[in-house]
Amino acid sequence: MSKKPSSSPPSLHKVIMVGSGGVGKSALTLQFMYDEFVEDYEPTKADSYRKKVVLDGEEVQIDILDTAGQEDYAAIRDNYFRSGEGFLCVFSITDDESFQATQEFREQILRVKNDENIPFLLVGNKCDLNDKRKVPLSECQARAQQWGGVPYVETSAKTRENVDKVFFDLMREIRSRKTEDSSKASGRAKERKKRKLKCTLL
Amino acid sequence: MAPLPLVTGISPKEGPPGTKIIIRGENLGTRANDLIAVEVCGGECSFEWQSKNKIIARTGINGQKGKGDVIVTTLSGGIGSSTVQFRTYTETIGPLKESAVWVEESPVQSLAWGRRTMATSGYHTVDDPLGLSMEGNDKKFPDDLREMFPENSGDLSRENFSPCWFLLENHHGTSFEDLRAGYAYLKRKVEGQKEGQLSFLKTHVGAVIDQLDTMMNLKKKMDNDGDVDIAKRVHNLQDTISKSIDSSHALFDDVLKRREKADNSRAALSVLNRYKFLFCLPTNIEKNASKNEFDIIVNDYARAKNLYGKSEIPLIQKVLAEADEIILEVRKELHKKIQEMPQGVEQQKRFVKSLINLEIQQIGTKQAEMLKITDPAWDAIASRAKYIEATFKRTYEEFQEKEKENLQKDTTKRDPPIRVLFCEEITEIASGQFPDLWRLGQSYFTGELRGVNEPKPGNFKQIILNAIERFCSYVRAAILPQNQKYSTVTAWSFSSSSQLNLFSTWLPTCLRHLRISYASLIRLDLPNEALDIVLKLIDELRLFCLTTILKKAIDKVKKLHEKESWELSVIEFPGATSLPAKLEELLTEALDEGQQMCLQLEVRENPLFDVPNSEGHREISKIIETILECFSTVLEELATERSDDEIQQLPKQIISGFPTNSLLPHSINLNEAKSTISSTITITWEHRLLCCLANAAYCNKIFINNNLSNLFVKYGYPVPKLALENSRSNVNMVFGNLLEMYVEHKADPLVSTIEPSMYIVSHFKWDGVEKFDNLSPYAHECLDNVVAVYSEIFAISPFLLRPILEQIIQTIAEELARLMVSVDDFNVNGKKQATLDIKMIRDVLRLYSNERAKQSFNEALDAIPKLTADENKNVETLLVSIKQRMKIQLMCLTVVNP
Ligand SMILES: Nc1nc2c(ncn2[C@@H]2O[C@H](COP(=O)(O)OP(=O)(O)O)[C@@H](O)[C@H]2O)c(=O)[nH]1
Ligand SMILES: [Mg+2]
Repeated sequence: MSKKPSSSPPSLHKVIMVGSGGVGKSALTLQFMYDEFVEDYEPTKADSYRKKVVLDGEEVQIDILDTAGQEDYAAIRDNYFRSGEGFLCVFSITDDESFQATQEFREQILRVKNDENIPFLLVGNKCDLNDKRKVPLSECQARAQQWGGVPYVETSAKTRENVDKVFFDLMREIRSRKTEDSSKASGRAKERKKRKLKCTLL
Repeated sequence: MAPLPLVTGISPKEGPPGTKIIIRGENLGTRANDLIAVEVCGGECSFEWQSKNKIIARTGINGQKGKGDVIVTTLSGGIGSSTVQFRTYTETIGPLKESAVWVEESPVQSLAWGRRTMATSGYHTVDDPLGLSMEGNDKKFPDDLREMFPENSGDLSRENFSPCWFLLENHHGTSFEDLRAGYAYLKRKVEGQKEGQLSFLKTHVGAVIDQLDTMMNLKKKMDNDGDVDIAKRVHNLQDTISKSIDSSHALFDDVLKRREKADNSRAALSVLNRYKFLFCLPTNIEKNASKNEFDIIVNDYARAKNLYGKSEIPLIQKVLAEADEIILEVRKELHKKIQEMPQGVEQQKRFVKSLINLEIQQIGTKQAEMLKITDPAWDAIASRAKYIEATFKRTYEEFQEKEKENLQKDTTKRDPPIRVLFCEEITEIASGQFPDLWRLGQSYFTGELRGVNEPKPGNFKQIILNAIERFCSYVRAAILPQNQKYSTVTAWSFSSSSQLNLFSTWLPTCLRHLRISYASLIRLDLPNEALDIVLKLIDELRLFCLTTILKKAIDKVKKLHEKESWELSVIEFPGATSLPAKLEELLTEALDEGQQMCLQLEVRENPLFDVPNSEGHREISKIIETILECFSTVLEELATERSDDEIQQLPKQIISGFPTNSLLPHSINLNEAKSTISSTITITWEHRLLCCLANAAYCNKIFINNNLSNLFVKYGYPVPKLALENSRSNVNMVFGNLLEMYVEHKADPLVSTIEPSMYIVSHFKWDGVEKFDNLSPYAHECLDNVVAVYSEIFAISPFLLRPILEQIIQTIAEELARLMVSVDDFNVNGKKQATLDIKMIRDVLRLYSNERAKQSFNEALDAIPKLTADENKNVETLLVSIKQRMKIQLMCLTVVNP
């Protein structure tokens, strides 16, 4: 029963990429995973990535689910979202429509997760194309604020700017959520144990 | 081994069989050939290698359903692992639905055809009614639920469904929070459904009312018609139903047939696809064989054997058998290629390795029995060795042929002779081919080319030795045909001596070629025994080259007489000319050239004259002896050659007493004498004769033993003592001959004048002598003549005075004795006069008189009748006064060491 902490497998953080098609979800993922930038656009269905990273000195595993952004069936989308522990909600700062779409993604996630404080980052991608910017920075920040103060970060999958940052920031949030939960859970577990003990006594 | 392949990303992460996926990760193969397998959900995939981080693959049809690992296998890293999983699901396709993907259809589905509900969607991935992930619940619940809930069941569709059972079975690991979320989800779903029914009714209220009306009408009609027609109606209904059943059957039969057809071609296609590699194998092997890509054949064949070798499917067995047959052919071809020459060693080694690989793979097949190659690597060596020998032979014959052609043509003398070109060619072949053969041998003996069977090497060392021996034989046959005694190669003799002469100037070139190829052999680390074969040839060539250089000197020495300038330049030996120095010069040149070409040692060579009394010593000694012999001859010839006018001139000088020219006062020093002789005065034959005498004496006494001997030491040759001794005695003989010639030439006229001047000139008679107051004229003349000869010799070389004068004086004494004995009678004055003359001559010439001369003088005196004491005193007094008078004139004859 008593496992040494060192031999226990590294904790796993499940991240889901959401956002409209073509905003750079896959590009961000591949840049983070493999340091490569994919120039051509090939629509994604649902891609899965998982690797070990060192988060603040601790070895953890990150699992990334890269989604299409417009799943044919809401059921499938919901199922994906349900398995996520944190979300990178991506839009392209050169595409206003993709920015508008983030509103719906946010709502869907909240509906499925039923949790206002789910780890979540609003990501404005393609910041290397600042001259073609369609979404003013202030508007982006305002929306993040309006969503209960989620962080807003601008990235570029092309120049790698802030790519590591969004993934690591999100993982930190997931981690702190988990420790909160587990402290609650262990409290409950103790309660339950007591009750169980009573049961057997009875 | 390289690190294990690790898959960390797949795109997409799920799909039906046949989905194209991009696989990313680490160490996915160093190159296309390195990647040997990709497996998804336990099923093999077709794949295309992109980079060590990326593969494009298509899932196969025999993977398991559900989640499974993506396993990449490389040659360099082995069987890898994955952090991500692919989920294979079945996209159910009805017979009427088109699909781009060939789907394997499970037997259950085809049986359950009729029961299939059209509502079932392949996309249904929500397995859990609570919408929760099953992760963390993989482990089975430990206790037996049937025991806990004997009455109930966990099946949602059962009447006796128990939520407890369900939750324990499926969610014993789910947190309470999650369960609450699941509950909320379930609730929403149910509400959504309810809402759906209601709103449906709301929106279609008109149609519903219509339906209700119609049903009411129907009921009224039925009531009106009563029971009469009910049976008929039922009948009609039955008919219609059975008709529609028939037509639906027909419809479905048609569809089923189409489906069957489609199934068949689908199956065939998927089999083709799956076994594409195998089916293409025979053609691929043939294609690659024709491109010499045997490595690929080895790989493909190994892969096919691994994958399908144990298969029991007859078709696969048949294809494999076909491949086996082709491989047999490939092996035959490889065996041929191994022995094909010329080709590079590396290629040959590659062929051997490919062959060995194929042999190993065919072990145990019937093809192994059909072609047994004992030791292909050895065959490679043998054929290479044979090729080298053949190349030597061919080259040798080609060049011989070329020379024959060239003999007809008028070749310009500047071009190297054909055999020199041959030497260059064959040494180049040797430098190129031996290393290859040797390297192949090394690879063989280090086991690099070890095959299926125990290696059966022949005698590799003997092969190397033979090849080198052969090489040397050809070189020797071409450039040292005279040394070609015992070899199997027929010598390539010279057709004329001019050809040989022309060739010999190219010997150093040949030597250089040979040395270059020797150096390349040394680098190979061959056994000494092998190197020594070449070394021996080099030694022979060096010696031959040396003798050729020295022999050239012979001809030059023969022409030395043209170089004689009659300069008396030898300080330590007056009278000797610069001729010996010129000989020394010639020899220096030859020895120096020989030393540089042949004596200087290069890598792994021995001194030529290491072994005393070797053939080299004898050769050199013989040539030196010839050279010196020639020199003696030159000396002699120079002395005896006279021009016509000189012959006429000479006797006059002697007869007329004092020479008219050329004789110099003794006081003149040597340097002036030299310049006078060489520049202003015509050189007479006597001078030349004397010079030659001096040269001969100089050579005998000093030059040969000192100068020449030192020369050999200086250039590192053994001193040819015997040759030098012989030539000294030769020179001595020349000296004797010349001496005799000179003496004869001088003494004859001198002596023959004594008698006439005694009698004929003054009608003199010994018994009628009137006056006794002076030396007789004949005695006077005789002494004058001796002094003249003296000065002639002295002017050239005082060393020659004694040997020449002794001879002359001896003849004078003998002549005097003869003359005195033959006198019949003396009067008193005659007695006195004769005694005075003889004594005067005897005393003056005493220093140069030998025993015989002295004896003859005494004989002459004895022939004169005895003088009285008074008469004797008379004679002595006069003798003293005459000596006094002629003192200056005769002084030269009194100097002991002039
Ligand atoms: N300039 C620029 N182009 C980007 C960036 N990120 C993605 N792209 C390009 O946008 C296109 C769509 O990217 P992709 O990652 O496939 O979008 P997804 O549909 O959200 O996964 C591709 O052609 C990318 O090369 C970025 O940060 N800067
Ligand atoms: Mg994408």
